[in-house]
Amino acid sequence: MSSEKIFSIFLIAFASISLLIVTGIVISLIVNSYPIFLMDSLSFIFKSVWNPVKEDYGILPALLGTLITSAIAISISTPLAISLAVFSTEILPMRFREFINNISDLMASLPSVIYGLWGLYVLAPILYQYVMIPLHQYLGFIPLFSTKPIPTNLFTAGVLLAIMIVPFASSVIREAYSAVPYYLKEAAYSLGMTKWEVIKTMLGYIKSAIFAGIFLALGRAMGETMAVAMVVGNTFTLPKSLFDMGYTISSLIANQFPNAEAYNHMIPALYGGAFILFIVGLTMNLAGLYWIKKVMSKG
Amino acid sequence: MNWAIEVNDLNVWYGDKHVIKNVSFKVPKNIIFAVMGPSGCGKSTLLRAMNRLLELNPYARVEGQVKINGIDVYSDNVDITWVRRQFGMVFQTPNPFPHLSIYENVALGPKLNGLVKDRSELDELVKHSLQQAYLWDEVKNDLKKPASMLSGGQQQRLCIARALALKPKIILMDEPTANLDPVASSKIEELMLELKEEYTIIIVTHNPQQAARISDYVAFLYMGELIEIGETSMVFTRPRHVLTEKYVVGRMG
Amino acid sequence: MNKRKVIEKVMLGVISSLAIVSAIPIFAIVINIYSEGARHLTLDFLIDLPPPPVGGRDGGIGPALIGSLILTSLAVAIGGSIGFFTGLYLSEFSHTRLAQYTQMSLQIMVEFPTIIIGLFAYMILVAPLKRFNALAGAFALSIVIIPYIALNVREAYRSIPYTLKEAAFSLGVSAPTAYLRILLGTAKRGVLTALLIGMAKAAGETAPLLLTILGTTFTYFGGLDQPINAIPLLIYNFALSPYERWHQVAWGAAAALLTIILTIFIISRLMVREVKI
Repeated sequence: MSSEKIFSIFLIAFASISLLIVTGIVISLIVNSYPIFLMDSLSFIFKSVWNPVKEDYGILPALLGTLITSAIAISISTPLAISLAVFSTEILPMRFREFINNISDLMASLPSVIYGLWGLYVLAPILYQYVMIPLHQYLGFIPLFSTKPIPTNLFTAGVLLAIMIVPFASSVIREAYSAVPYYLKEAAYSLGMTKWEVIKTMLGYIKSAIFAGIFLALGRAMGETMAVAMVVGNTFTLPKSLFDMGYTISSLIANQFPNAEAYNHMIPALYGGAFILFIVGLTMNLAGLYWIKKVMSKG
Repeated sequence: MNWAIEVNDLNVWYGDKHVIKNVSFKVPKNIIFAVMGPSGCGKSTLLRAMNRLLELNPYARVEGQVKINGIDVYSDNVDITWVRRQFGMVFQTPNPFPHLSIYENVALGPKLNGLVKDRSELDELVKHSLQQAYLWDEVKNDLKKPASMLSGGQQQRLCIARALALKPKIILMDEPTANLDPVASSKIEELMLELKEEYTIIIVTHNPQQAARISDYVAFLYMGELIEIGETSMVFTRPRHVLTEKYVVGRMG
Repeated sequence: MNKRKVIEKVMLGVISSLAIVSAIPIFAIVINIYSEGARHLTLDFLIDLPPPPVGGRDGGIGPALIGSLILTSLAVAIGGSIGFFTGLYLSEFSHTRLAQYTQMSLQIMVEFPTIIIGLFAYMILVAPLKRFNALAGAFALSIVIIPYIALNVREAYRSIPYTLKEAAFSLGVSAPTAYLRILLGTAKRGVLTALLIGMAKAAGETAPLLLTILGTTFTYFGGLDQPINAIPLLIYNFALSPYERWHQVAWGAAAALLTIILTIFIISRLMVREVKI
């Protein structure tokens, strides 16, 4: 057999490994979580209980926690990401552009645990003192702010997540923004539009890319584990307001897995959570890819 | 057999597109053989079908024969890397390996193919190839410098030296002067006239004047078909086909 | 003044402020971590065993540092080779069905919550061995970095001008020689960047280690089939502990990790820059 043949087979083998791993992971999620769905069926998702002794599990609080923290994250990060993208391409003088892009990329490469440490000992106290307490004091009648705050809670986790996903979302938007054909910008200016009006037009043009960035960032936010686990409070209660301590699915797994071996059904329960997390995350990413396709087809 | 290369009933497809249609010709040894024609007529494809470089393109399909010394390069028991070593190829845009020095660019082929026994043989081979390519005197003191530092014309001569270092029988040139200035171009044309003493040169050109200037035999390719072939002087003064006439006179793209 | 002009000024101001706000955290993080942690970065700190929760000597992150070195090297060796050849395949055989499926898989892998990868490694390497072990951690980390390396290597090879590929093959060398001994040279910056990215990821990821290596070891290295520690895991465990002394160690470890990440980042940017010029 010629070296060419051997080489192709060699490459094919390696390429297949990734396929195998992905398939393996998905299968392992299904196989390992099957027992809990067998036991509880869909009520596993909708009840709120974590009783290892009675082997009764329902991950609703964690699911809600994931959704709430991600919602907070996305509402804060979207305007920030768009602004950062626009700022670096339109407003900042050319020579600083590379610098700010590097800063953004550096932020995206920071380990989650470093965000977590900083979030726990720097961000949480600040948010507690200057945001949560005032909000609770003056606007406590609004259900969102009704719980007496503690520094590590869903709100802090959401804000920290926002900080973490801004660079990623912003780079997606920035790329799309810079790819808009120059003649469109020229046309807008020639109509006498102000810079802001041109920006508005361009943003409208890349709407699909913005949605793509949002969904992809949401996918990331939902899967984020360590930073969240360090600031979310890790308490298994059904959240009533933003200032409640809580869990996300990923931090629940991180927190409870070390104990899980002692019990019969905790491991499947945690795998069940992982499976749900995977499905939700995959949906977000597929949504993101859908919007990216739309960007591409515009040409 | 005194043909350098024989092409018999060559057909090439890119997917469904039939780009070379039943082309047959024979090329004598030690001449310059020009393939000319308008853009897109398939000349570059024809060249790459000869040294089987076409197979880098997964969508290309070849039928027919290309024979060197009676051996069909497309037959099953022929090693494709052997085929490619029988040819030296020079490309339209000079493409020395940018991460290698001048010396290393020329030495690479012989080294990887095990053509020399030791370092001193390799040095000799590199020197000889650079001399043959009219480049030695200009670079002999700078052999370790990166190839990217040379001018366009020098880079192209470096590529010729790289091709010669393999000691091929046939040199394939794909529009070698298309991207060079007139001075550099004429240097290379001069070089080609020298080289034909030792090698057979097949050059693809989109410039009929160049074909007229330097080639001994010329083939006119149009839309993948071989329209006319013959001695250069004959084809240019008394073309048999009306398309050929139009092309040499300059009334074609 | 013209109303539209006023709106323009205001909006540009808002955008700029928001942009600056989003850039603030990185500076805050770097400043805070170094101001809290840099003072711990002595040679002793990098070598010593961790301190007891209270009293006794100052201690250090020795075992975790060794652990990180071992795990990262293993992960880059395994994940790097798989990623490299996968990336090469994707670039040069992009027309095949397998390439398309693999591309899709990689894009899914990149977005996997890393805790799920940890669960997978637990199932494959921890459960059967009945104990947490270093190999499982390295395995999990390699899975995390394979897509990053593969996709970057693919880009590196894809950006090689086709004419250079033709030149390499025209020399009559075999495909492995052409790809690995000639074209790799032209793509080496991109490939190195890919490996650096993988290294940074492997050094910083925690979730895959949480379920695989245990991390609360007080020995330097017991073998690949034994538990091991790593810097990010140490930061996590110590930061959440109730002991102030361990919090200090966590800051020190964070400063060390940040330095590693920053170094790798700067090196990879410098390499990319050279290509542009």
